[in-house]
Amino acid sequence: MKNKITIILFLILVSFSSFSQSLSSSPYSIYGLGSLYESDFGSLPAMGSAGIALPSNRFINNLNPASLGFMYQNHFLFDVGGNAIQTSYQDVSRKESRNNVQFSHVAFAFPVTSKSGLSVALRPYSSAGFKISDYKLPIQDSNEEYTLNVTGTGGLNNFDISYGYRVGKKLALGLSTSILFGTIKDASEYLTSNSLTNIDKESTYNGARISLGGQFKVDSTFTIGVNLKSPAKINATKVQSVTTYNADLNASNTIESEVHSDIDDYYLPFEFAVGLNKQFKNNLSLSMDYEKAFWQGTDQADIYGNYLNQEKFKLGLSYRKDHNLRTYFDRIQFSTGLNYDTGYLELGNKRIENKAISIGVALPIENTYSVLNVSYSYGQRGRISSGLIKENYHKISLNLSLDGIWFVKRKFE
Amino acid sequence: MALLFGIILTSCDSDIDTGEFVVGSDNLSVNNRVILIDTATVEVSTINFDSLVTSGQSRILLGTYNDPIFGKVTSDSYFQLSSSSYNLQTTSSDTEGANYVFDSIRMVLLPDKYYYGDTTQVQSISIHRLLQKVKQNAENDDNFYNNSSLDYDPVSLGSTSFTSKPIRQDSVFVKLDDAFGDAFFQKLKKREIVTTEEFVEYFKGLVIRSTSANSSGVMGYQISSMLQLYYSKKVTDSKTSILKEFTIDDVSKQFNRVSLDRTGTIIKDLPGTTERLSSDLTENKSFIQSGTGLACRIDFPNIKELKYITQKGAIIDAQLIIRPVNNTYSKTYPLVDSLNIYVADQLNRLSGTLNSASGNAIYATLNKASDEFGENIGYSIPLGTFMQNEMTKQSDSRSALILTIPTISKGVERVVLGNQKNTGNKVQLKIYYISY
Repeated sequence: MKNKITIILFLILVSFSSFSQSLSSSPYSIYGLGSLYESDFGSLPAMGSAGIALPSNRFINNLNPASLGFMYQNHFLFDVGGNAIQTSYQDVSRKESRNNVQFSHVAFAFPVTSKSGLSVALRPYSSAGFKISDYKLPIQDSNEEYTLNVTGTGGLNNFDISYGYRVGKKLALGLSTSILFGTIKDASEYLTSNSLTNIDKESTYNGARISLGGQFKVDSTFTIGVNLKSPAKINATKVQSVTTYNADLNASNTIESEVHSDIDDYYLPFEFAVGLNKQFKNNLSLSMDYEKAFWQGTDQADIYGNYLNQEKFKLGLSYRKDHNLRTYFDRIQFSTGLNYDTGYLELGNKRIENKAISIGVALPIENTYSVLNVSYSYGQRGRISSGLIKENYHKISLNLSLDGIWFVKRKFE
Repeated sequence: MALLFGIILTSCDSDIDTGEFVVGSDNLSVNNRVILIDTATVEVSTINFDSLVTSGQSRILLGTYNDPIFGKVTSDSYFQLSSSSYNLQTTSSDTEGANYVFDSIRMVLLPDKYYYGDTTQVQSISIHRLLQKVKQNAENDDNFYNNSSLDYDPVSLGSTSFTSKPIRQDSVFVKLDDAFGDAFFQKLKKREIVTTEEFVEYFKGLVIRSTSANSSGVMGYQISSMLQLYYSKKVTDSKTSILKEFTIDDVSKQFNRVSLDRTGTIIKDLPGTTERLSSDLTENKSFIQSGTGLACRIDFPNIKELKYITQKGAIIDAQLIIRPVNNTYSKTYPLVDSLNIYVADQLNRLSGTLNSASGNAIYATLNKASDEFGENIGYSIPLGTFMQNEMTKQSDSRSALILTIPTISKGVERVVLGNQKNTGNKVQLKIYYISY
């Protein structure tokens, strides 16, 4: 057991150190705070990320804080994960593939009383990883062009503390506080026929939002869940340096150096999610979620792009043999799911949609609830049209969900 | 297990993005955009430097012509002569000075290839003896200017008319009055003049006046042009001619008086040195002329307002193209290849040349790529740094640019430039501005 704790601590350390890295690269992530990041715990990635109505008994359900009200007594849950993604980017004329390996999340949860549980999680919220090379844009009010080179890295992290409380046997309520923080670095070069301008910008964001969740067990096999996320303001500041070089004059000119300034704040919309879970024959579990985020009302500043209301439809199915567990194979859970996301970003009057199918297995470790979740999903984002690209991605997620017994924690005390 | 995760988490050697995919180009230019501003006001005017230093320029500038635009240009040259020795004897053992006789005296002008105007016409010059020394009365100023003059004897010592061939560099010889030459010779012969002081006291110098009645042109002559005194030794019947030369040893004792008679021209009303004549009042043209001190002044009255185009912006590049007006230049009056640029205040006081970051002077260079209408011919000036500084500087004072021709002190080239209202040859200012 001591070894396990060492491993856990090691994983936490490694995880934190990986946070500084650029998480994913997508041309779309130049907008807003980057691409929003789906980093779901346990077996959720295999089930199309559906699970608003699932309890936090065998893994930490990050979709709904109310799920912590259904934690098992004397269990300590730990979850850490990572993704390997291969994406092919395709536009009207080209296609290119890139591989990417990313940290996904680290989280732990424990019951506080027999009726309540607490979880702490750190995961990416968004990631900005984009690069534009030798891109020609018109110089306004002229027939001339300039060349743009941009590299963006960074993203926001989400640190949240969630608390779930069970009222009676059927109803649980939850509250989650998320702190969003991070920086996005953006290095741009503007080349005109006779000048080169470098703008190096480091934007720092921070803000907090609250979520309220509820889960209600209609009967022993049917649960419904709801989660509401408050709108939030993400404060934004930037530190910027601007230098220009003029070739005719052989002159370098520092326009500004490390200047701190406020930039337009970013607004997160009110979001709600509803979902249901139905168990069939004690071994088949069906989850369906619907989510809506009211981005249109956020009135974002122009610099963040044009936003529409976003909807997500999620469907997940999992199977685990309930009894007669004779072999290791009998104890494996199989899952599959569908995920359709309308997206919230509009470019060239077109939504940037995302759709994915997923399958996965949960491989038990020893004789506990600890499992290694391996999932594969294939998805598409965006579309091929003028000014847009399509991303086809193959994603493998590994989530290690560890289950410790309560007295382990007592050892620390 | 831990090993597996360790590999995943630490070996994040994700593939490098080559940046070929770009989405939503319309939105990209929202944040930072490059704008071309070509509507900023450029005010063009003509100013008149009334005193250009023309001494010490190492050129004797002579000639006169009627410029169809600028008026009558005349250049006279004043100088002091001297010699290394005032002894007529050729050797120290020569004691027969008494036998020397005066032969002749002449001025020899050596062309230096500089010319402007129609040099195929006959030019006339007349040489006069100065009645004043080539010396300034002012305490702290040893310079002579384009409008300086000295008293001279109205009686000509000699004159000539010639058709010059400046490129062939035929020397011009002007025979001077024998009586003057003999008197001059006698002073030397009698050893009444042995030092330069004594010499200059007696012979203060010469002015060569340009006296052509008809329009022709202006030519430059080398500073090594000289006064030649010929004499000979009367010992035997065979005459040995001896030459004594007097030259301009001190270039600061030579200057050209360049005058312009603007009567009846569109620039007849030029104001004083500290003021300017708007090109709006002179047919949308501005005038530069070397020698006479006419210069083009360019103001950018609205430059500070560019600050307010966007919340934050910078001028990353700017180019001014100022064009010579069609039909104001020709083979006879060719365009110069470049113009000097000075930075000046509201009273036309120069603070120096317009310099690049490395301290080198920036010139306005002529683009000669001609098209049918001559619209591409123009002087272009890179102004990026100047404009950015003008836009951002705190004080209310605005700087202007003054354009002159590099030969301002020793030539008579001129150019006529169009302003923003000039239909065929409009001055154009392109400012590249980035909002950040």
